[in-house]
Amino acid sequence: MTHNPLRRRLLAGAAAAGGMVALPRMALAKGMVTTAIYPGSWEEAYRSIVAPVLKKEHDVDLQMAPLYAVDQIAKARAARGNPVFDTFLLDPGPRVSAIDAGLFEKFDPSRLANASKLQPGMADEYGVTVAAQFVGIAYNPKKFDKPPTGWTDLFAEPYVSRLGLTGFQTTFGTVSILEMAKAFGGQGTDVEPFFAELKKVLPKVAAIGAPASMASLFQQGQCDIMYTNTQTVGTLKGRGVDIEFVRPSSGVITFFTTLHIAKGAEEVDNAYRYIDTVLSVPVQSELMKAPYFMAPVNADVALDDSLPLKSLSEMSGMVQHDWSRINPLRAGWIERFNREVAR
Amino acid sequence: MSTALVQAGRWPLALPLTLAFMAFFAAPLLMLAATSGYADDMLTRPGLDTWRKFAGDPFYWKVTLDTLKLGALTVCATVLVGYPLAVAYMQSGERWRRLILFVIVMPVLLSVVVRTFAWIVILGNEGVVNQAVMAMGLSPTPLRLLQTEPGLILSLTQIEMPMMLLPLVGVMARIDPNLLDASVALGASRWRTLFRVILPLSVPGLVAGCTLVFASSTTAFISQSIIGGNRLVYLPLVIWQQSLVVYNWPLAAVASVVLLVSVMLCIALIAALGNRAMRYLNV
Repeated sequence: MTHNPLRRRLLAGAAAAGGMVALPRMALAKGMVTTAIYPGSWEEAYRSIVAPVLKKEHDVDLQMAPLYAVDQIAKARAARGNPVFDTFLLDPGPRVSAIDAGLFEKFDPSRLANASKLQPGMADEYGVTVAAQFVGIAYNPKKFDKPPTGWTDLFAEPYVSRLGLTGFQTTFGTVSILEMAKAFGGQGTDVEPFFAELKKVLPKVAAIGAPASMASLFQQGQCDIMYTNTQTVGTLKGRGVDIEFVRPSSGVITFFTTLHIAKGAEEVDNAYRYIDTVLSVPVQSELMKAPYFMAPVNADVALDDSLPLKSLSEMSGMVQHDWSRINPLRAGWIERFNREVAR
Repeated sequence: MSTALVQAGRWPLALPLTLAFMAFFAAPLLMLAATSGYADDMLTRPGLDTWRKFAGDPFYWKVTLDTLKLGALTVCATVLVGYPLAVAYMQSGERWRRLILFVIVMPVLLSVVVRTFAWIVILGNEGVVNQAVMAMGLSPTPLRLLQTEPGLILSLTQIEMPMMLLPLVGVMARIDPNLLDASVALGASRWRTLFRVILPLSVPGLVAGCTLVFASSTTAFISQSIIGGNRLVYLPLVIWQQSLVVYNWPLAAVASVVLLVSVMLCIALIAALGNRAMRYLNV
């Protein structure tokens, strides 16, 4: 896998022509690092909170390539060892895919000053956890007399006729459905019980939407109960939407968002500086607040009341899933879901 | 052979675009076709298995037909709603024409994502339409509009309307008003004038509009998935899932080729119908 600096320069040129005006900043900065980032709130949060600190502390400019996890993998696979960004930002499923495809540079946690503040297992030879997500049930307290308590409630009245469903396309959707399947008697990665129950209630379900549209559907009263992460609940609450997070009786699901250095990355040193900045206490504390609500991973951060835990060590007791077992099955589940719900 | 084609000196001007098309359009299409010829998702084993899987599966046939049906219905709706506006445009003075043109172009200035999310607000249970329906006592409970085919067609009609109207008003504005006067002077009713004079002369604009609306609505991934929801499965959703969620690029490529070819066939059909209509109506 040879490195091709011309390509990077052409891309930088294209970016400048595209209005990013990268050239003057590159000339001034000591260095830069390009990170892939989820479009939307992640991009906003990192632009307004991480980038200024990185600039101040290390004189490094943060360039962002807004891409969803799956798009990052697709781009990196297509680039064949000559990535267009230095770091990946990924959820557990795509993380495993990227490890299988050999897209990461070997990661050295000892180069991070904040590594010791993390929970065990959060930093390894592939990358490091920078945020946690907590997934559970969200409902509109004004529409129901009593809150739902567990996953099976979603498929029973009065909740089912107000339920908003989304499939296996996202991490939170996949893990939520796995928990539903478990609640209906499934073992491990057996999702049949979920599909069996879904078939029974399908005509009653209020909405089956694209993951990106779920927040809007909830806000518009198209559905009044759904599964989602605490981040979405916080954002919607901030907009004045009646929404509450419920910890399912079987436990809150947690999964981690991780940063990784891309194989063939140009700015490895700056990538470590950037990752260390993301993990620092002031940055993690700011990211935790409104409007971003990103759950911190640094043990020195004082946790906000909106989070469903009092100490980061509680994470080890939450529900987690093995994505190396989920990934091979997911394509089949997505296809199955399409067929089951298609009119 | 026409002399214009072989005249030296004109070629170099067309060369840059031709080369750009070859490099950025034709080559990727060939790569897409090649990708569909692999039997496994790691692209190691050439074979027609993916094509066989797609063709042998009634679900994918249904998805393909639903996609084409969506395009056809959207075309019908945009013609029904748009054509009267185009006639009004044709018969208006300069000032009104400018205003109508502005109204037509305005939605194009808004991102399709914004327009799509606006339709959630309009069609939702607590949206404008349902509030009006319930306030007038037409229905005790909210109508189900979002995540239904009629709701999707309704919003696509608005979203795609500029694609229909821009070519249509362009052609209709050039119709010689003397022809309409002559038709009326010769005793034809307004309706007869509309069907025997205006309609035939506007066929080229209609064909262009229908082509654009059909191609654009069958591939409108954002509107289809946001307004249609996941219970309405169309080919763009399959392509997105297979290429970007499960990395089954051969299946995504097969779905892309099927979408491309079936849409092109329908567009050819629209053009052929337009030609026939012109011949028939002009006789």
